[in-house]
Amino acid sequence: MRFQHSLRFALAGAVVATGMALAPASAFEPEQPECIAPANPGGGWDFTCRQVGKTMQDLGLIGSTMQVVNLAGGGGGVAFAEVVNKRGDDNDLIVAASTATATRLATGAYPGNTMDQVRWLATIGADYGVIAVAADSEIETLPALLDQIKADPASIAVAGGSAVGGWDHLKVLIAAKAGGIDDFRSVKYIAFDGGGEAVTQLLAGSVQAFSGDISEAKGFVDSGDIKVIAVLAPERLSGDFSKFPTATEQGIEALGANWRGFYAPKGMSDEAYDHWVGQIKALYDSPEWKEVMAANGLEPLDLQGADFEAFVAESVATIKDLTAAITQ
Amino acid sequence: MSDRILGGTGIVLSLFFIWQATLIEISPFSDVVGPSAFPIIIGVVLGLSSLYFLVKPDVGPEWPAPARLFEIVMAVAVMVLYAELLPVLGFIIATALASSYLTWRLGTRPLQSVLVGVLTSGGIYLVFRVILGLSLARGPFGF
Amino acid sequence: MEVLASLGDGFSVAFTLQNLMLAALGCFLGTIMGALPGLGPSNGVAILIPLAFTLGLPPTAALILLTSVYYGAMYGGRISSILLNIPGDEPALMTCLDGYPMAQKGRAGEALALSGVASFVGAFLATWGLVFIAPQLVKVALLFGPAEYFALFTLAFATLGGISSTNQAKAAFAAALGLGIAMIGVDGQTGVPRFTFGEVHLYDGIDFLVALVGLFALSEVLIFLEHRHGESEASAKKVEIGRITPSLSMLKYCTPTMLRTSVLGFVAGVLPGAGASLGSFISYSMEKRLVDREGTFGTGDPRGVAAPEAGNNAAAGGALVPMLALGVPGSGTTAVLLAVLLALNITPGPLLFTQNPDVVWGLIAALFIGNFMLLAMNIPMVGMFTRVLLVPPRILMPVVAMVSFVGIYGISGSSFDLLVMVLFGVLGWLLRKLDVPLVPIILGILLGNAMEANLRRAISISDGDWSVLVGSPLAIGLWVIAFVGFILPIIFGAALKRRMKLAASKEDEGELVD
Repeated sequence: MRFQHSLRFALAGAVVATGMALAPASAFEPEQPECIAPANPGGGWDFTCRQVGKTMQDLGLIGSTMQVVNLAGGGGGVAFAEVVNKRGDDNDLIVAASTATATRLATGAYPGNTMDQVRWLATIGADYGVIAVAADSEIETLPALLDQIKADPASIAVAGGSAVGGWDHLKVLIAAKAGGIDDFRSVKYIAFDGGGEAVTQLLAGSVQAFSGDISEAKGFVDSGDIKVIAVLAPERLSGDFSKFPTATEQGIEALGANWRGFYAPKGMSDEAYDHWVGQIKALYDSPEWKEVMAANGLEPLDLQGADFEAFVAESVATIKDLTAAITQ
Repeated sequence: MSDRILGGTGIVLSLFFIWQATLIEISPFSDVVGPSAFPIIIGVVLGLSSLYFLVKPDVGPEWPAPARLFEIVMAVAVMVLYAELLPVLGFIIATALASSYLTWRLGTRPLQSVLVGVLTSGGIYLVFRVILGLSLARGPFGF
Repeated sequence: MEVLASLGDGFSVAFTLQNLMLAALGCFLGTIMGALPGLGPSNGVAILIPLAFTLGLPPTAALILLTSVYYGAMYGGRISSILLNIPGDEPALMTCLDGYPMAQKGRAGEALALSGVASFVGAFLATWGLVFIAPQLVKVALLFGPAEYFALFTLAFATLGGISSTNQAKAAFAAALGLGIAMIGVDGQTGVPRFTFGEVHLYDGIDFLVALVGLFALSEVLIFLEHRHGESEASAKKVEIGRITPSLSMLKYCTPTMLRTSVLGFVAGVLPGAGASLGSFISYSMEKRLVDREGTFGTGDPRGVAAPEAGNNAAAGGALVPMLALGVPGSGTTAVLLAVLLALNITPGPLLFTQNPDVVWGLIAALFIGNFMLLAMNIPMVGMFTRVLLVPPRILMPVVAMVSFVGIYGISGSSFDLLVMVLFGVLGWLLRKLDVPLVPIILGILLGNAMEANLRRAISISDGDWSVLVGSPLAIGLWVIAFVGFILPIIFGAALKRRMKLAASKEDEGELVD
């Protein structure tokens, strides 16, 4: 163990040194840190686990390698049930989560499970939603798109990477609601397998608009194939994305953030909970993580502990309201 | 005869499938086609093809004698037990037991079978856990 | 010739000792993982991602390692198809059809070597395709809207008839069964659960790997168990391996097949949402339509080995086109590679070729290098692979069963999947006894969701107007091919069947057995 430690020290040099300084002294130390990715290897949750595990280890925030366990099934429901039922007091365990987790909890897609059966740890960033159209489209602004939907709902098909009723669809509806469209069912949403496929169909001309995350649109925006007509963020994004208007500044009060973060078992000791919250915060504040965020199109969203619990509760409530309004 | 049974089973299955398809709750978000239409089409194809070999069966296969059938049932039972006991006993023990049994029933001498079982288990553990780093079931002893 | 200059730069990036070592390592590990039932190219790549990151590799080196694994797994899948009749991964499914009969005839070595060469030809041509026509091909992908995809999938199923069984009704039954199994799980369009009976484990549907391994590998074990006393002692049987290099005349004989299927596979690979499995499948069924005049496909025809292998390896190369140029993964493996690219701070998309030329051309050069390495590695290793056949089945079969279990469990970590796999094992045994082909079941499971989703997307976009399905010249063309492919075998098949019936009429007493 000691040997491994010193070896890693020698290899990673300065990076580890700064990382060690960051790690706060804490009584609890996970012996075998484990991260459950509630999906098969290669997906977003898997990535959250692996990237965070690796960066935390590089920074010395965890003493040993984070073991990533893939527990796929039920859109995260199998892992959620496993944590609630079988791993309820595991102090070494964290589980990757995102807005999709909250959406499914809100719509009852995890049968018999609710958000208060686990402890929510912290976020590691967020992806803001965008609405885009093809570069040669006559539509230039979000209000223009919504007006067109109002006038002739059949003429606009919006593509997104999630199922009907999923997050990409809800973002369109959030915008539609803010823009004064009452009949949600008139908004034509076409579900594709992932944002990339949805963008491709926008380019192919099969659909007229795209709802997705900023990271999914990046490559095509850079190449000038599509134009972003609204970002669903509270204020303009940083860097290259600052040229895109927010929905808010166009008079449409619509926000849509896809956060990424972790939850932990309900029975985790307070000591362990505080330790994990602290370590993820330390990760979030590190320059190394800032680089990862920039690379993956993640925007800042800095919530820990009780704040994060409240945030998840609020987003679950919002989604519940929204779907209730539609399903009536 | 076997094909007739298959055909009959296929028709029952297709009817059950279509019936279940009609029971799918239509979400308020539903698209134009809806979640039931395609399964119903599949059910119809399943039913029609079953009907064909119900009416025009092929020559039946040769089914195993009861003793052989028992072997197969036992092997399946061992596989089911293996799946259930894997998380309890851990990978190495469960795998050694299951592969010893299968090796024995395929005609290896008992003692040799145990040896082969243990070697199989250890070998797989080496390749999948140690070299490829997959997380296999951890038993009471950590392997 | 600007392209060649760029490629030259790419080679200068790839030709470092470290990168060559990584390519060799990736090819080797990929071949092994491809050959193990349950671990396919996508899981193989995913499993090695941590290794790439732990080694702290720069982007190009990491990509070289992982794409070598990808190509290696595409090569490796055929090994267990030919030797054991168990496809190592889903693109190698079709290789079982003629590869295993060849091995049974004592030509295992030849089949392995020939398929190695076919894999090389497919991958090699596809990589050149990637060099010269990738940007143009992206436009082809953009011609495919939901209606065209639906027509393409229908075409795949329409040409299915008679592929592995003389009884068309049984092939249709198997396809419907597979499609029905694909319907299990949460509906991707509306999010409602279908045929799940309240079981959370079924919400994500049945993983085709679980079905594949159960239907092929476990049922094989059961069949051995059934026949143990049939043959006096299975291990006493003399195993013939045959020559381990293909003869020049055979290569010559198969060359037109390899060239045709490479092109077809490459195009199928370029279409996101079609992928390598469809590539190898269409390659096989089209080639059978085209050249199988004596009805030798399915009985160990070398062209039936060359076709799917050239096709699926070409498709693997083709699938890199939409991934690099559109950021759209055309297969499970490219989805994983895409995640890796994003992690390495490389944004795939129309600008990738201009923004990160070193990465793209380094990668393409690495593909060439990996491909030659795989050929060099695979031909001499044929002798080694065939030794598997010398292991008596009483020991080999339990090992195959256990490896299958571990492959599935190691990926999903779920006992439930293992139980489903056992269920498929029993189902596979029953259906094999009843002469129901297993290949259409797997294809149904693989393509079912995409087929349905595209149908529903097309109809949704047109607001319920079904005529949209024949709304473009491309769609109409695909429907015509599908229709011809479906009708022709029924007309010719009937004649063929009469002849076969005559031959089989002597065995009719068999019906009394049960």
